[in-house]
Parts: sequence; structure tokens; C-alpha cells
Amino acid sequence: MEEWVGEVWHKLITKRANTEYPDASVSLSAVASQLAPYFRALGGEHHKVIEPTSSLKINFKRSLIQRIAGTHQRTHLCWHDERSIRLPANIAVFPTAALNQQAYFWLAALSAELPKIQHWFVDNQQAILTLITKRPGLKRLYFTLVDAFIQTRPAIDELEGKQLAQEQAVRKALLNPGSVAELPYAEKDPYPILLWLYPTPLSSVSSVASDDDGLEENTAPNQAQKVKGVSKQGHRADDAKETDGLLMFMAESLFTWTEHMNLDRPQDEDLEQDLAGATEDLDFITVAKQRRSNSARLKFDLDLPAPYTDDLAIGDGIKLPEWDYKKGRLKPDFCLLQPMLADDTPPSPVPAELHRTARKLRNQFSILRPQQQWVHRQPFGSELDLDAYMHSVTDPNVHSQDQDLYINRSNTFRDLSCLLLADLSMSTDSHINADQRVIDVIRDSILLFAEALDSAGDPFAIYGFSSIKNKQVRFNLLKNFAEKYTDATRGRILGVKPGFYTRMGASIRQSTEVLCTQKTTQRILLIISDGKPNDIDHYEGRYGIEDTRQAVLAAKKRGIQPFCITIDEEANDYLPYLFGDQGYAVISDAESLPTLLPKLYLNLTSLS
Amino acid sequence: MTKPNYLPQGSEVEIFNHAASNKLPVLIKGPTGCGKTHFVEHMAAQLGRPLYTIACHDDLTATDLVGRHLIGENGTYWQDGPLTKAVREGGICYLDEVVEARKDTTVVLHPLSDHRRILPIDRTGEIIEAHPDFMLVISYNPGYQNLMKGLKPSTRQRFVAMEFDYPVPEREVVVLIQETSLDKQTAQQLVALGNDLRRMQDYDLEEAASTRLLIYTALMIKSGLGAKEACMCCLAQPLSDESETIKAIEKLIDCHF
Repeated sequence: MEEWVGEVWHKLITKRANTEYPDASVSLSAVASQLAPYFRALGGEHHKVIEPTSSLKINFKRSLIQRIAGTHQRTHLCWHDERSIRLPANIAVFPTAALNQQAYFWLAALSAELPKIQHWFVDNQQAILTLITKRPGLKRLYFTLVDAFIQTRPAIDELEGKQLAQEQAVRKALLNPGSVAELPYAEKDPYPILLWLYPTPLSSVSSVASDDDGLEENTAPNQAQKVKGVSKQGHRADDAKETDGLLMFMAESLFTWTEHMNLDRPQDEDLEQDLAGATEDLDFITVAKQRRSNSARLKFDLDLPAPYTDDLAIGDGIKLPEWDYKKGRLKPDFCLLQPMLADDTPPSPVPAELHRTARKLRNQFSILRPQQQWVHRQPFGSELDLDAYMHSVTDPNVHSQDQDLYINRSNTFRDLSCLLLADLSMSTDSHINADQRVIDVIRDSILLFAEALDSAGDPFAIYGFSSIKNKQVRFNLLKNFAEKYTDATRGRILGVKPGFYTRMGASIRQSTEVLCTQKTTQRILLIISDGKPNDIDHYEGRYGIEDTRQAVLAAKKRGIQPFCITIDEEANDYLPYLFGDQGYAVISDAESLPTLLPKLYLNLTSLS
Repeated sequence: MTKPNYLPQGSEVEIFNHAASNKLPVLIKGPTGCGKTHFVEHMAAQLGRPLYTIACHDDLTATDLVGRHLIGENGTYWQDGPLTKAVREGGICYLDEVVEARKDTTVVLHPLSDHRRILPIDRTGEIIEAHPDFMLVISYNPGYQNLMKGLKPSTRQRFVAMEFDYPVPEREVVVLIQETSLDKQTAQQLVALGNDLRRMQDYDLEEAASTRLLIYTALMIKSGLGAKEACMCCLAQPLSDESETIKAIEKLIDCHF
């Protein structure tokens, strides 16, 4: 009975305290696909993704009823960091769905205009001012939103003293952006301003520390507090200190859930405890910045897989040269490239989750299959070739035996072959999101690419590569030009694993050799990569870049067209040097690689 | 022919004049609809030379440029193609989007684009020396990353080359006003919208909103269509087929009008 009463009371009081309009709620997922292009069009950085934010705890004065109900301790606000813009998962603040939706677009626009917040109160006003002076439509939208938004804020007559002054300043700043330079001090933070951006809660330690010294000279004391109050939510632990494992420990200090121990023990998590439950109770979660820091930073020679579990090596290896930029010449027979074949992977069909995409691609690419076309100047055919006849009549050097005067229908072929070379280095083992690693994306990309090309009828081959110094450049054969694309090939593709390092030059040289066996006019070398060329010997930095560049140039000289697709966001720094301005594409959203790759191939090779 | 309005973006008029007086061929690179063709028309009018424009397509052969035999009342006769005509009579021969044409077309251009300035016609055995006023101009869009199409380096390096891009916003406003006599306020809004749309290139849109598209939009607005409708049908719909992208563009249009 007590429980029942409690439940009813809870429902009643929560409903009473609720200030939102659940019926008019708009969810982020419904508009996200429109928000992203909109954000980019307004000048937002291309690589940022839009994600829902978790609620933040804001220290503002709640009304009596809200305090009784225990609601409104947390609120959804908009903020962003280097990687993403975070918008509330739902907006239901406004009475109509249209307004709630507009609020999303407003926040996206503001995020594009204000990529970095230095001074929360002033920057927001300034950005709004710039936005609405540049775009009259946006101005209309903003004031509609502000009018509606002010209705949802606590009534002026309920406030008094410092709170009142603060609220008045906020309202003035909203209605007349750019007009208020300082936020008056009050014990509590102002009632959340949904239409503004908030500072990144996960700001780094150093920036939090500097907040204590006061942000800028014209910052009101409360401002510093404000920023601190928000950034407290998340807290990036300073694990840059290289004291791994060595901890000064005072026996009397008790660690609670929310405290972080600077102890690098990634394997140590005890998953049996209810971590999820604990996370919900946490005010902040400490995130270690250096995931897998040791393996990434230390250079050590990896143990090779035991021969019986490794792929089958074919032949004794192929000796290839390498470019030494310091000497300005090729070092002959410097690399030993070992073709490998995964002979133990079971044949397998297209995985269920890729089925639909694969079928769609197959349909799309089947139009590239050889089609019938009229061919002119044939010795025999179904119709007369008037042009050829005229030519033979008027040509001053006429040959009487030249009788190719007919046109005929015949099949024309796309005269091109393609070799796909995939980077299977160790770095592909890293995660791009919660459930996908780079290698998973590469694997799916290769598979879908193969499905598409198989359907198009273009001859193609697929190889993967990784290396451990110059003596073992592993060149994984996934499909060669001669073999048919079957379930056995699919099995091999699905079995790709992250390998070792990235000696790109040698692999490109070998791919060039393979491609040169093809008799087609166009020979394309597509390279999928996730980073710079590197290996554990001297093959890094400029050496690797120069060697790769020489290999690319040599390939071009032999009539091969190399093109590189990368998911490395810094690739714009070095890829133009390697492949030329038009010879590469950077895919900022790695997850989209599987669908983009066939499309890119189509664009690269389409004749019309 | 009335001289078309042209607002120079840089020193392209000067470069073109120098190339013309030195009898050098010109190559113009630039994205779709940034004013390449318009510029050539302007220069032809300014130099007082006839202009032969050939829009290249993938079925365009050397014959289409040079000429062919036709059947007349008294048997066959030779008909000059546009290139031959320009070479004989003097004039600017402009090959628009030259990479679209078949590979054999570039071969006829080679002897014309170096010091020889001749056009051999193998069908008739004639070798024509170019008229002093003959000038060859080609253009293409290097932005298409297509491995099958591209100008061979050996062809490219026979030309004086210039790169065009969309005009800076202030100039683009002037262009819009000149071309369509739209009021300044609306022209500015349109150009701002155009620049927003250009940021979506490569991510959401395959091609950026060209100056040409903006002029179309301005014309539609000028003739009385509502600004938002004009933007939808001249900017949003032509640029994308993706419904979500179009919706995003619609929101963007709402920002400006």
C-alpha cells in the first residue's frame, strides 16, 4: 500500500512539476540526417558528427514543486567538442513540434558559427548576432524561438534579489544579443538557456585549472564558477604522467566510485559488478585519454604467429627494391615480399547484415555489363555504313580492296581492370566506434566492392598487405585476376585480420607487377589505407613517404592509374604528395566506407 | 553581336589578350558554371573575332571537328567542320569540356597548338595553315575525379593555362545584378545562400551551386516567382536527389529568405 501511494504521488508530483510538452516532442534521430548537411552548409567542420548528449547537472534554482518532485536536477543542453556536436536527444520545451524542430536547426546553426567557446556569456551573444545579421531568415527564426523560450522560463515576479538581476540580464541578452557584457553574480546558475551552447563538459584538466585563475579580465566572478560548474561533469584524467603502475597511496584516503585512480590496468576491470548501474549514479566518468597507450607508443618486434596457425606462404618470396631518398636511388632486392594465402578459411556466403546492400550494389553495377552497340566499318554487318562508303569514294588514297562498309551490332567491353590493395596493418585493429574496428569496416568494404565488381564484369583482383621490416612484407592474396569470385573467395575476405606494419612501397611495386599482366587499356590500382606508411625499422616519416611516392610514380609510368582512399583525417597533409591532388579521397566517416567505395569506383571509371 | 557583360576576377583578360597577340592556345580550368564559356564569349567580342563553340561529348570524333564529305546534287563534296572553318577564316575555336571528347580529337589539336599552327586533313590531303586570327581555346573541369578522363600531360603542356573559380561574394553580387538587374538586397541574400551551399560540396552534394544556377534563380525571382520557390526549384532540386539533403537545403533557404 505504501509503495502504491508512493508511486501515485511520484506520478502526480512529477506531472505537476513537468514543464515540458511531451506531445510536441521531437527526437534528434528524426532530424539528424537533415541537421548534418545543414550544419556543414553553415560552415560547420565537415568531420564533426551529431550525437545525442547525456543530461548535465546544472546548479540552478528550482521551483518549490520541482524540488519536491525531485525533477529538473539534470537538463539537456547543447555542447560540442573537437569530434562532435552534442544535441539533446529530445526537445520538448516548446509547445509545438514545429518549434521544437526549429530549435534543433537553430542549435546546429549556432554550433557551426561558434566552434570554440572562450567566454560562455559573451561568445554566445556574439555568435548569435553574427548569425542573424548575415541571414534574415534565421533572424526571424531566432526571435520566434526566443519569444517562445522566454515564456518557458520562470516568471520574473517569482524571483528576487540577485536571481532577479541575473534573469533580467539573461533575458536582455536573449532579446538583444550582444548587448550584455556581464552576467550578474548570483548564488545559483541561471535557469538553463536551451538556445545557447554550453562549454564542453569534458574539457581537459589544464583548462579547468586555468578557470580557477579567472577566465579573462572582464569575466564576472560567477562566470568562472559557471564554467567550472559545468566542466565538472566530465573530467579528463591526466594520465599523461608516465608513472604507470607506481602510485603514491595514502592509507587514509578512501576511494569512492567517482574517484579515479591513476593506475594503468586496462585488463583489470571486474565486469561482474553492475557497472551500468554505477555509471548512472556517477556525476562524472573519468575517461583515460591514452587508450592502448603502451602498445601504441612502444616499438617492439611482435612475435610472429606460429607457423601452423599462420596463412600459407606461397613460394620463397619475391625480392623487390626500395627507394632510399638520402642516397637518391633504389636499393635493389632490399625487400622480401611473401605472398600469403589463407587456405584454412571456410567458404562462406555474404553475411546476412550485408545482404541487402550487396544485392543493391549488384543490381546497380550490372548495368555496366557489356552492352550491344553499333560498330562502324565492319567487313560485314546488318546495315550499310554510309560514312565509310563516302570515305571510300572520296579518299584520294583509295584502296579498292577496302570493303569495310557495314555497321554491325556487337558487344563492347569496358576495357579496364582493377586491383584493390587493402592496408591490413596493426592500426586497423583500433576501434572507430563501440562495436566496429577499422578492420571490420575494411573487410565489409572489400566484400561489397567485390560483389559490385563481380556484377559489373570488370576483371579485378584483391590483395591485402602488412609488413614486419623489409624481410617480411606479407602480401595476402584474397582474389587474383584469374580466379572466379566464389564463396571460397568470400571466406578469405571475411577472414582478414589485422597484421603488422605498413610498408606500402613494396606492396605497390608488387601490385604494379600483377596489374601489368592484364592486357586491358586501363589499369587501376585502388589502395585503401588508414594511415601513413611506416614500419619498425627506418621505414617511417620521410623515408616511408618517399619510397611510397617512388613506387606510385613508377606505377604511373607503366600506365597504371593509382588512387588512394583513406580514412586518416590527417591524410590531406601527405597524400597530395604521394598521389597528386586528384589521386586520392579522404573519407571522414569511416563507417560509410563500405557504401562509398563502390560508388567511388563508379565515379572513377564511368565513361559518361 | 552585343558584347556580353563580364566582370574580371583577376588578370584573366590581360592574360588572354597577350596569348591572343602571341598566337598561343589557351586552356581554361574551372568548376561547372563559373563563367568559363561566358569569359570566352566576352573575349571573342572584345577582340572582334568570330567564335566557334563546340560542346564536347563522348561521341565527338575528329571528323566532327575537321569536317566530312557529304552527298550533294553532283556527287560528294567536302564540308568543313567548325575547327577547319576557324582555322581557314580566322576566329576563336572553343572546345568546351574537351576531356569529354574521344581521344582521337586531341591528336588533331596537337599540330595546331604548337609553333606549326597547321591542320592536316587526311581525307582531302590538304594541309591548312592557320589564319593569323585563329586561336584555340579549350576548357575542362579538373574536379571530376575520373581516371578514364583527363587531359594527357603532353596535350596540357601545349597551352597557356588559367584556373577559374567562383567569384568572391562581393563580385558575385555584382554579376547577379548585372545579369538579371535584381535588387541588391536579394542578390546578396542569394549569394550568401550560394556560399553556404558550396560548403556542402563533396560531403552532401556532388557539385557546388554554380554562379550560373544563382543567375537562373535570380532570373526567376526577378520575373516574379517567390524567392523560396525559386531557390527550391533552381538550387535545391537541381543539386541533389536525396530527400534528406533537399530538406536540409530547404531549411537553409529559410535562413536566408
